[in-house]
Amino acid sequence: MLEIEQIRKTFHPGTPNEVRALQDVDLRIEPGSFVIVIGMNGSGKSTLLNAVAGSFFVDKGRLKLKGQEVTLWPEHRRSKFIGRVFQNPFTGTAPSMTIAENLTLAAKRGCPRGLGWALSSSTKSELRERVYAMGLGLEDRLDNAIGSLSGGQRQSLTLLMAGLLKPDLLLLDEHTAALDPKSADQVIRLTEEMIRRDKLTTLMVTHSMHQAAYLGDRLIMMVRGRIACDIQGSEKQRLKPEDLLARFEDLRREELLDETAAAMLQRQYV
Amino acid sequence: MTLLISSITMGLILSLLALGVLISFRILAFRDLTVDGSIALGGAVAATLLSAGWNPWIATLAACLAGAVAGATTGVLATRFSINGLLAGILVMTALHSVNLRVMGKSNLPLMKETTVVTLAQSFASADSRWSFSRWEMPVQDACVAVFVVILISVVAIGMLAFFRTNLGLAMRATGDNDAMIRALGVEVGWMKTFGLALSNALVALSGALLVQYQGFADVQMGIGMVVWGFASVIIGESLIGSKFIGYLLAGAVMGSILFRLLVAIALRWGLNPNDLKLVTAAFVFSALVMPSLMITVKKRFAI
Ligand SMILES: Nc1ncnc2c1ncn2[C@@H]1O[C@H](COP(=O)(O)OP(=O)(O)OP(=O)(O)O)[C@@H](O)[C@H]1O
Ligand SMILES: [Mg+2]
Repeated sequence: MLEIEQIRKTFHPGTPNEVRALQDVDLRIEPGSFVIVIGMNGSGKSTLLNAVAGSFFVDKGRLKLKGQEVTLWPEHRRSKFIGRVFQNPFTGTAPSMTIAENLTLAAKRGCPRGLGWALSSSTKSELRERVYAMGLGLEDRLDNAIGSLSGGQRQSLTLLMAGLLKPDLLLLDEHTAALDPKSADQVIRLTEEMIRRDKLTTLMVTHSMHQAAYLGDRLIMMVRGRIACDIQGSEKQRLKPEDLLARFEDLRREELLDETAAAMLQRQYV
Repeated sequence: MTLLISSITMGLILSLLALGVLISFRILAFRDLTVDGSIALGGAVAATLLSAGWNPWIATLAACLAGAVAGATTGVLATRFSINGLLAGILVMTALHSVNLRVMGKSNLPLMKETTVVTLAQSFASADSRWSFSRWEMPVQDACVAVFVVILISVVAIGMLAFFRTNLGLAMRATGDNDAMIRALGVEVGWMKTFGLALSNALVALSGALLVQYQGFADVQMGIGMVVWGFASVIIGESLIGSKFIGYLLAGAVMGSILFRLLVAIALRWGLNPNDLKLVTAAFVFSALVMPSLMITVKKRFAI
């Protein structure tokens, strides 16, 4: 479904604030797999998802979606394949437009938009059903502006919008991080349901060890722009939050060691 | 009475300007200063073609197209060349000043005996027929022009309302509301902005073309400060209506434009020096822009 070959992205190259956000990342994702991405702050998780979505072009390497090379496709073109939910609940919806209008916009994801009527009564009743099925009680508020909803409600709707056309690839970037625990649980439940029901190929970034251990069928951990480990199959099924914490601890020690070693070398040679 | 009806007619003609500004300023969230140039461009193109003997409808349509091209130019500068939107508008506005002089060949072009859409509207009544209401009296021809303009504005406003309910129109509104979101849904934001600016400036140029035919002359200076008039109308309209829904926004812009024109007429009647008009308008728009946040600060002060 998704093939990432040796991609590299450096922000502000050649300046003092140069950041090597992705360093020769290789990743192949099979159709229908649900991949969890974890890693420390700044390890390049969002950058990886942005590179796939096309928010910027990578400096090196290739990206393939559904067998098609998309490395040089701009973001709006890739959207034909990709549904996305962002960390910030405000990024995924147009606040001054109504729930129904936002949903119709998503119902045309990646399609040409012409002068056809956006909200015919049949589309509207279809949308009402989809919203009803989420069980948030929003089906009677379809004509309210989305800006009047809570973050959790907005994020649930963004999720519905991303999944509306069964995307070939679903990208979720810490989509519950900005929510209170109760809404976060609800959004995670909806996410799981949707992915299972529609068999969506998914890449989900999370900071929650609990989510990382119990969701998905594959887990990758990123460290400084690289994929440091990749756990799949039965090993992933048996994974517990404690195991993940232990791995994190190991990695941190290694990094610390790296830093002290570098400092030592510097003292000796400079 | 004549003054009243002419102020209203003028307000209606300029409500096309307000509707244009509504598209760029409110719907696309793009502060487009092309307006000053494109309203004069519309006037210049219409007046030139009319005095060359063109059919007034075609001349008016040509003015719209010219405005659309001007708007699209600003859009291309802002989106393809990533120039700041304000600056892109200023560049095009400045260039248009020369273009307008070129089009007209001189800085002022009177329309004397030419058939215009306004004289066509007037021809529904004879020149000396009058309506009188007790003390008031008005030429029927003036009423004909007002009715014609009302019909035209209604057609434009209903067309816009319909457009903003189509898939394309919805995508345009989303572009101004949240461009990251609509990009992720497959819309090329740069193209959408360019298209919206073309639409906006076509309306502005239409307003200029009608204005010229109503006043009976075109002048290269006629655009100066018009964008601020547009802002003023949109802002007055919003405070009159107080709703963000698209139909109300459209109605508000038209009402705001008429009300603003009436306010100007009253102020002039009370002895406001016409030379001070632009200063007063600018001060008004300034206060309308800062008032909301000022009110919040004041409320907070008193709450503590
Ligand atoms: N647009 C950008 N311009 C400059 N630097 C960037 C940009 N985006 C990301 N970076 C840098 O790239 C590095 C990786 O960032 P990224 O957002 O991918 O991290 P992350 O793993 O998502 O972290 P977090 O858990 O905090 O979300 C960081 O050092 C960040 O500062
Ligand atoms: Mg991130």
